[in-house]
Parts: sequence; structure tokens; C-alpha cells
Amino acid sequence: MTSLNVIRWIVWKDFVTELRSRETISSMVFFALIVILIFSFSFSMDHQAAREVIAGIMWVAFAFTGIIGLGKSFSTELQNDCLEALQMVPEAKGAIYLGKVTANFAFMFVVEILLFPMFVILFNLEVVEEISLLLLVFFLATVGLSAIGTLFSALTVQIRAREVMLPILLLPLVLPVMIAAVEATKGALNGDPLAMYEQWLELLAVYDVVFTVVSFWMFEFVMDS
Amino acid sequence: MIACRGIGKAYGHFQVFHEVNLTVAEGECFALFGPNGSGKTTLLKVLATLERPSMGHFDILGMHGLKDKEAIRANLMFLAHGTHLYDDLNARENLAFALALRGHHPTDRDVKRALDRVAIGAFAGMKVRHYSAGMKKRLALAKTMLAKPSVLLLDEPFTALDTAGTEILREYVRERLSANGTVLLSTHDYDKTRPIASRAGILRHGALQEMAVGELKPDDLA
Repeated sequence: MTSLNVIRWIVWKDFVTELRSRETISSMVFFALIVILIFSFSFSMDHQAAREVIAGIMWVAFAFTGIIGLGKSFSTELQNDCLEALQMVPEAKGAIYLGKVTANFAFMFVVEILLFPMFVILFNLEVVEEISLLLLVFFLATVGLSAIGTLFSALTVQIRAREVMLPILLLPLVLPVMIAAVEATKGALNGDPLAMYEQWLELLAVYDVVFTVVSFWMFEFVMDS
Repeated sequence: MIACRGIGKAYGHFQVFHEVNLTVAEGECFALFGPNGSGKTTLLKVLATLERPSMGHFDILGMHGLKDKEAIRANLMFLAHGTHLYDDLNARENLAFALALRGHHPTDRDVKRALDRVAIGAFAGMKVRHYSAGMKKRLALAKTMLAKPSVLLLDEPFTALDTAGTEILREYVRERLSANGTVLLSTHDYDKTRPIASRAGILRHGALQEMAVGELKPDDLA
């Protein structure tokens, strides 16, 4: 019960501070818009060609945008040394981790949902029939990114070059998520039968469970080191 | 109660302090003096379980400083240089959040009373971003009041506080001492500390020299 309360309060605090400052989501959205526009102008392509490469472009934009949000997740805790207060919370480090993961997931998922129509418009996609499967891919991949990204955000927050170190450490570890997300998104956009790409959805689900459990367990050591 | 036995802290080859032996009993306030960079804050951070000592060991309330960190944290508050406040939350929200993480859920009446006691009740709904340094310090003090810790670590607590704020803080320390609390504070301000401290020590060149508060001379604090 105490842990659930801690999760709830961490999520509440991150949401309220974000609603008032609008620092994280606005910087994520603007960065992603720039990336999408650059890709859109760089690749003039027809409907079929777009479906072949759009999944990769989409997940590159989502991953780099997500890293911006993940970086801010713990750097905001440096303000007034709030990180010290989190370190001193008795017996709830795992709950703090789950609260942060939930908030990070929500920010990333909201940004993805806001940006997806831009991809549809700029790359002339037809997605009405596949929308539920695409949302499932977004959900599973974003859980994976936020689960491992939250741990590395905490790990790098006190490093001087944290803005550089977070992507350097994180991107190799989320490679399985990126590959699976791209393949599953491509399958859904092409209208392929689910059986042709369901193994990628299974890989995403397994990755989510494994890395959430491992990160939950490691978070206490990261916070105490 | 705080009991340090031979604790030291080093960053690489740089020895901040070494062989510090210190006991602060229940109902006692110990004032830690020392020049800038002498390691006062580092010593408080070690005792607050935020830093590991490089040598020696310490107990707080009879609990081992390294093995029982979580239990110690539940009974200790550290009023640090950084106020541990979120600029985009107001005073009430900051208190509710910080105390909820520690498992406390004060009533609105308790929160109002604490804010009124530190004389910022009129600004309870204002974002902390707009507070002065002194108001932030008062809010951090209100948080400590609501947590009612057995052990209180205060790092230069008089900084940014005006005369009224200083008296509020001293009154609160006296209250904790009468409730058998243990208080360890670091400071440069002898005059403001003298009315509440029963013992003192000077941390200089990595070593702690203990003395009675009345034995301190201005030259000792230079």
C-alpha cells in the first residue's frame, strides 16, 4: 500500500510540474516535429515507398524524442537538490522507479500520439484499418524504452556529460526494441497478417517484462551509489 | 543518539576528514564549526546516509549507519543547503509530496499550523519558484516540523533566515530537544548558535576538536 502511494505521488508530482512548466513535452514535440519535417523534405516518395521506410523514420524520431524526455526526468530532480530527498526516502526506491517509469511512459506515449498524425499527413499513409495494432506496437515499445531509459536517466544524472552519456549508453541497449518496433510497425502499415509479425510483438513484451524487473531491482543500487 | 567511531571520508587521494569520533546524546544539540571546505557538509551527508564513509562506522539511534540505512532514514531529517523543494509546486503541495514519500499524511490543519508557525501561511498557495531564499528555508523547516524526526541534521540552518526566522528555528530545536531529539548542526554563526547548543566542535584540517560552547573563542572560528 505504501509503495502504491509512493508511485501515485511520484506520478502526480511529475504530471503537475510538467503541466505548469511544460518543459519536457514541449521540447519533445518541437524536436520531433523538426526531425519529421527534415525527413519529409529529404525523402520525396510515393505511397508504396513511404510504407517501406516510414517505420524506421518514425522510430528514430520517437527514440530520440524519448531520450530528451528521459534526460529531463531526473535532471529536474537536481533543482534544489531534490534528488537527495528522493535518495533519503525510506524503503521505497522501487516504487520511485515505477512512478518515474509511469510518468516517462505517459509523456512519451502522448508525444507519439500527437506526432503520428503528422507522419500520416506528410507521408500520405492510410492507417485507419491498422490503427489498433499500431497503438499496441507503440504501447509495447514505449514501455520498453521508458523501463530501461528511466534507469539510465538516474544512472547518468550526476555525470557531468549526462546529455551525451545517456544516448551513448541507452541506444545500444534499446536496439532490440527499435528493431522489433520497426518490423512490427512495418507489418501493420503494410496490412500484413498478424501472424507474419507477431513474433516481434512477443519480443517487445518479453523485453518489457525482463528490463522492467531488472531495472526495478537495480534502481536501489543506482540511487545509493 | 549519534555515535561516530573513527569515521573518515576521502575523495580519491583527497582526505576531507579522518578519525572523527563524536557522540551526540538524546536531548543534546551539538554545533559543528569550521572554515569553508573543512568537511562539515560532507560529515552531515555521511550521517544522513547520502555518502558512504571511507573508514570507520557510525550508529544512529543504535542502528548501524551502513546496514540499517532505511531505518535510519525513517527517523532522520536533513535540512540541507538545497531546500529539497520543487519550484513548480506550491508550499502545500511540496509538504504533501515530501511527507507522503516518508509515509506521513498530515491533515490540512496540521499543514496550515506548520506554515503559520514559520510565518508563510499567507503564501501557502504560491509556487515556490516565487519564494525568496528565506521563505524557502522556512518552508523546508515546516516540512521538518511535520515529519517530527528523532534526529535532526541542520546544515548552516541560519543562512538566509532573518531574525524572526532564526528565532523560529531555535524555538523548534528547543522543542525537539525537550522531546529527547538529537540535533547536530553545522554553522559559522556562533552568536545565533550559542543559545541552543550544549556542546561544540571545530572541524579543521580534517580533524574534529570538541569543546564546550563557552570555551569557543573568536579566533577558533576564524
